[in-house]
Formats: sequence, C-alpha cells, structure tokens
Amino acid sequence: MIHFERTKLANGLTVIVHQDKTTPMVAIDVCYNVGSRDEHPDRTGFAHLFEHLMFGGSKHIPLYDEPLQKAGGDNNAFTSNDLTNYYLTLPKNNIETGFWLESDRMLELAFSKSSLDVQRNVVIEEFKQRNLNQPYGDVWALLRQLAYKVHPYQWPTIGREISHIEKATMQQVKDFFYAHYAPDNAVLVVAGDVDFDKVLTLANRWFGHIPNRAVKQRAIPQEPEQTEIREQSVVRDVPNDTIYMAYHMADRLDPMYYATDLISDVLSNGNSSRMYQNLVQKEKLFTELDAYLSGDNDPGLFVVSGKPSNGISLETARRAIERELDRMKQERVSEYELEKVKNKVEANIEYSEMNYLNKAMNLATNEILNDAGLINSQVDFYRSVTTAQIQEVAQHLFRHGNCSVLNYIAKKSEHVES
Amino acid sequence: MLNRNIQPPVNPIEHIDMVKAEKRLLSNGIPVYFVNAGSQDVVKIDFIFEAGTWFQEANLVASLCNSMLEEGSVNYSAADIGEKFDFYGAYIQLTADQNYGYFNIISLGKHLKTILEITENLIKHSVFPQYELEVLIDKNKQKFLLENEKVKTLCQKKFTQVMFGESHPYAITNKLEDFDQINREMLLQFYQSYYHSGNCRIIAAGQIDESVLALLETHFGGSDWQGNSINAPKYEISPDPQKFHHVEKTNGIQSAVRMGKFWVPKNHPDYHALAVLITIFGGYFGSRLMTNIREEKGYTYGIGSYVLSLKHVSYLIITTEVGNEYIEPTLKEITMEMKRLQTELVSENELETVKSYLLGEFLRDFDGPFALAGSFKAINDFGLDYSFYDDSLRVLRNITSEKIMQLAQQYLNSEDFYTVVAGSK
Repeated sequence: MIHFERTKLANGLTVIVHQDKTTPMVAIDVCYNVGSRDEHPDRTGFAHLFEHLMFGGSKHIPLYDEPLQKAGGDNNAFTSNDLTNYYLTLPKNNIETGFWLESDRMLELAFSKSSLDVQRNVVIEEFKQRNLNQPYGDVWALLRQLAYKVHPYQWPTIGREISHIEKATMQQVKDFFYAHYAPDNAVLVVAGDVDFDKVLTLANRWFGHIPNRAVKQRAIPQEPEQTEIREQSVVRDVPNDTIYMAYHMADRLDPMYYATDLISDVLSNGNSSRMYQNLVQKEKLFTELDAYLSGDNDPGLFVVSGKPSNGISLETARRAIERELDRMKQERVSEYELEKVKNKVEANIEYSEMNYLNKAMNLATNEILNDAGLINSQVDFYRSVTTAQIQEVAQHLFRHGNCSVLNYIAKKSEHVES
Repeated sequence: MLNRNIQPPVNPIEHIDMVKAEKRLLSNGIPVYFVNAGSQDVVKIDFIFEAGTWFQEANLVASLCNSMLEEGSVNYSAADIGEKFDFYGAYIQLTADQNYGYFNIISLGKHLKTILEITENLIKHSVFPQYELEVLIDKNKQKFLLENEKVKTLCQKKFTQVMFGESHPYAITNKLEDFDQINREMLLQFYQSYYHSGNCRIIAAGQIDESVLALLETHFGGSDWQGNSINAPKYEISPDPQKFHHVEKTNGIQSAVRMGKFWVPKNHPDYHALAVLITIFGGYFGSRLMTNIREEKGYTYGIGSYVLSLKHVSYLIITTEVGNEYIEPTLKEITMEMKRLQTELVSENELETVKSYLLGEFLRDFDGPFALAGSFKAINDFGLDYSFYDDSLRVLRNITSEKIMQLAQQYLNSEDFYTVVAGSK
C-alpha cells in the first residue's frame, strides 16, 4: 500500500506526494501526457526526439544537467507510445533545484538550433544502435505495421524511418511544445523524505504561474477489429529463425486487462510456466519462448515470440504455440495454477515498492493513464480474476482472425566466429 | 520576486549514513555478512563461491555448472524447482563471472523458511541431469550465436584477448565448438571442487533478524558439505604487442569501440583520486567524452569510461558505438580529450560539479538494503573494510585541479592504450 496525497494547482498541474522516510533522497517525476501515438504519420519519432531536446536548455537555464549535478542530482527520461516521462533524484535538502529545472523547461524551452542539429544526429545514431545494427532490431517496427492499420501504434517510438527525424524543423519543435507541454497535460510526483505542505509550497512557487495551455483532448483513430489472420515473412541476416504472433488485446483500463496479463503468466512467466515446461523442456521444440503484453494504454498486443530449436520449422513451431493457446481456450486453468501466477504478481508488486524512484514513476504513469490510486487497487484486481474469466478472455483473445504472424527467417550464410 | 536565472541555494552533502554490514560466522566457518534495512518484507541472500572462470579447465564449465544448479537436485526435479519458486513468488539468480559463482535468492520474508529449505538441497545436492543439460546447452548455443552478431560483443571479446592473452581466464575466448566438448562429468567435478562450505560466503540484505540468521545456521551451518581446499591456479597476463586491432563484421552500419589500459587496484594510493579523473573524463552525463562526442558532435548515442576492478587485475575501458563514418574522428577526439586533461587545469566550476555529482552517487550507493549490500561486496571482494569509503570521501572533498592534471599526465597517455574496433571497414 502506497500512501499519497494529490492536489491540482490552479493552472491544471496535478501534484502527487508520497512520503518515504527510509531514504535520504527525493525523486521528482514530471510525466507529460504525450507519446508517439500523438505524432503525425509523416513525422514519426518526434515525441522521442523532443525528449532529447528537453535537455538542450530552457528559457532561463542554458544547461540542464550541470546545475543538477552540482546539487548531487541524477536524471533520465523515456518516451513510450503513450507518454513522456522525466525523472530525477536529489539529496532531500536540495530538492528546490529540481523544481527550478523542471518548471523552467515546462515554462518554455530555449529552442536552440544547435541543440536540434546535434540531437537529430544523436537520435539517428540511437536508431542505428538499437534498431538497425542489432540482430532482430526491426521486429517491433514490422510487427506494429502488420497488426495496426489505423491506430498510430503502427510505428515504433524511435520512428518509422530515419528521414522523419532528419527532416524535423524548429517550427515543428515549437508547435509540438505548445501543443503538448503544459501544466494541464502533466503530472508532478515527488517521493521521498518530504512532506506534502512543503512540496505544495514549492510547486506553487515554481510551477504555479506557468500558463494553462488549454491542451486539446487527443482524438486518436481506434483500430477496427481484425477479422482475418495476417502473415508476413522476412529474411534477415540473423542466426536463428524466429516466430512472432501478435493478438489484439484489451486496453489498459478494461477489466479484461488483468486476466490477459495472467494468461501471459500462465503461459510463460517462470520455469514452471506451461510453454516453458511443455515446449522448451519436454518437447524441445524451442530454445526460447515467451508470451508478453506490449503494455500500451490503448488496446495493445499480446505477443508470443519463439526461437525454434535446430531443425524445427516455423510451421511446426506455430502449430505448437497454437496448441497451447487452444488449451487455454478449451480447458480452465486449475485453481492452483491461477493461485501461483497471482502470488507471483503480488510478490513482484512488493519488490517494486522497495524503491522510492520506482514508486514515483508508477504513481506518475498511473495518473496519466487515469488515476494514481490504481497502484493500490491492482492487487485486488488481479486477485479477483477467476478461472472462468481466464478461459473466457482466452477464447476472445485467441480467436481466429485476431492474429498477425511474423516469420523472421534467418538468411543462411557463414558466420564469422571469434 | 522569483528569479529563474539563478539556481536555488545548494546545500553541500555533509553527512552520509553508511549502514554497515555486520558479520556472523556459521558453525562451519562460513561468514555471513548482513545488512538489516528496508521497509518491505523482502530478503535477498547471495551465496558466493570462488567458482568463476578463473578455476575452470575448459571454456563454459564455470557458467554451465552454475546454471545447472536449478536444473535438479536429489529432492527436487527441475520442474519441481520452477514450480516451488514460482508459487512463492521467489527468484533464483544464477551467475558466474571471472572469479565467482553466485547463487542468489530473492524472497518475501514470509516464505523464506520454505525457500531456504529448497535452496539447501539445490546447493548441496545438485544432480546435473543429462536431459536438462542438453536443453541448456542448446539454449546457450543459440544465445551465443545471437551475441556473436553484435559488434559490441565481438569488440569486447577481442579486447579482453588483446589485453590478457588468449590463455588467460580474463580473456573471453568461447567458441561454438566449445559447447560440444562439455559433458556432465566435467560439470559435476567442478561442482564438487568449488561449491562447498569451505569455499562460500553469504551476503544477506533486507529485513534480516535473528530468525533469518538462525535459518541460515540450520540449513548451511553444518559440517555435511565441507570440501577440500584447492589451490587457485596462477595465470600470467601476456598482452598483445600490437596496440590497435580491427574485427571485421560485414554489413554493419555502426562499429563498436573499446579502448583501454591496465589500471591501479582498489588498494592503490591513487585509486580514489583517479576515480574523480575518470568521472571527469567519461564517467557521467556531463563528462568530457559525452559533452564533446555526443552533445557537440552527435557521433554517438553514448560514450563512457569506467574502471573494471577484478580480483587480480584492474583496467580502464572506454566504450562506444558510432556510425562507421565517425570512427576516425571519434578516436581522434578521445585522444584529444586525454591530452586536454594533461595540459589544461580543470576549472573550479567543473571540479565542483563532479564532486557534487559523486557525493550524490555516494548517497545512492548507501541507500536501501540492496545498494548497501552491493557497496559492502565491492570492498569485501578485495579484502578491504569500510575505511575504503572514508578514504574515498576524504579524497573527493579535498582533490584539486592540479592533482587531476598530474594524474592525467601519469595515467592517461594515449600510447599506453589498446584499441579495438569491430565493424565493417
């Protein structure tokens, strides 16, 4: 159970405070309700490029990192399909530096040309390092494009192609800032050895007069139901064939979400899971096999990915996966099996609450989703799932036609050994 | 009136509360070091054996032996083990590095009794079933092939071979054929030689009270798992006389770079001051390397320098991945940044920034049970005590720009560095 207090400033900024007296540090998390799903199809990768620019100086502060480091602080940020999250940690007696830095870049960026020029290049190198120069690096780009025809989840956060990043202009940067970076589109979470009144005073002092920017509600085209199976095969210079099967699933606030998550646990979380025991250990059909959720706020993907063992074809591999998914549809899981995956979820939540920064990030992302209080009710949501619901959700999830299959085929060539 | 142009007053970090690990001995002599801290009902226990690659007679033996510890014991099959740990939401983390083999567990305190009962059987009575071994080897082969496609892996391998010589255990020389040479008897023999009470220490962190210590005594304190002490083999380092190496990887659009040299050990009088120098050079986001090569030139997503202290050798390493077209200018800028540290005094402002940053890191290293245990292990591995951190703080607070420049002149000479680039030419 995480106790927190929450209020909203006059300009629309939500402020959340969680007190944790066991740490000498404080985490400050500013989460903006903007992600790659808010991008124009011809300007993908923009939300993430923008995250880089947020470190290139703000209206009154030419350098972001140096003053933070002077206060003993450390920071980072990430962009997802749904949100952009900035977080820093500081010794508790230096938190005002965090308020100063974060509020100034919410107020206005420096919009420096040299920062844009350099960060375009840095992001292009990041694109290469993570996606183009890595074996299997383009899997998510391919899978998203196959599974989504309408929804902006069809492109990855890094962007659809490098040219979109190369072409970003300063005017687009400015437009993006004023459209999305605003107190009424953000959450400020402070966690650590602090009290609510002090945080509120500091929040009002530094963030209070940033103008409300009347951010428009997003209108994102939702993906229509997929009714026919889709399949794509690509040949790449990788050591092993791999199969990916993606099913459209419920959105993050749908009650079915929790059952869906537990289905992935029954299938592949831990050495006792079904797919690991049956298909990796007993039948030796795969050397790696996983089921997981893409974790998006809008309806996301339930993905099964597997590397077949030597000599096992992708067809055999696919039939084996389908067999396990069919079993989920046809038979109820046992009470014991469901209890086991619930125990594990509960333990993982307990582990994640050991760290003040983790707690700050979870509060922030849940508030952006809908309500920070979700982090305290999630155990009950998971606990209340029944074996009948698991079966029902599996029948809906794994229905014929809801699947996109990506066959990732290894080009046979000599490997350079060393 | 709010002045946004100036930073709010910064308070120096005066006090760092170092919660220290306490020590107990089990009846059989195993030292248990424990840190009682944290608000959650969570316990992490590390069983650390002198069973790293240093001790193996063939490639892969140390790591496969370690991995097999959760694949079957006298009382539990691999499936039973998975079932139990999953049911209680507990985790086994198995790793082997150059010097040690680790059997680490994380559990909720309320299930620790059961988890330790099982763990005892796994550690003391592993059976190395043939079937599970074959599955594991197949899995690791595929992982090996995947890793070998990455320029950073190819680069790191070659780098360790160049630095240490191919026959030294710190050199990574695994080949695909090695997997076919492994058999059950080799692993069993390694297990019997190195996984026993005479070769073990325990580090426990989280909510550790007398009852946890009593459980450790019950399950691991007996004389039933003593082995024979084995003299550690000795190896000599034989670095490659050639300083620059290229590893070809066709079709890559980026290349990986590793540049490094041998470094002073943790007990050397210059160690702490050098840590400040290396932070300025490439050890944090505002470092010289990051500022120049990422933030000004945009050649890379990231570049850094850090010191790797192993039991018998330490080295400094600079790592990055850059577009193929930026290799030459990147190497030139790295050398230039060394030269600059040797010839120009670091400004007061930069030195203050780094000092404050490192003091903040110090606080983080002593915050929470797992961090506390990690900071303890970082000294315990080298037979050092907490005065190491007192020294570090004292040096950090008093170091001058003159000292930094003098150290750069002594330790950052580009001609001493080995350079490996992996990518397509």
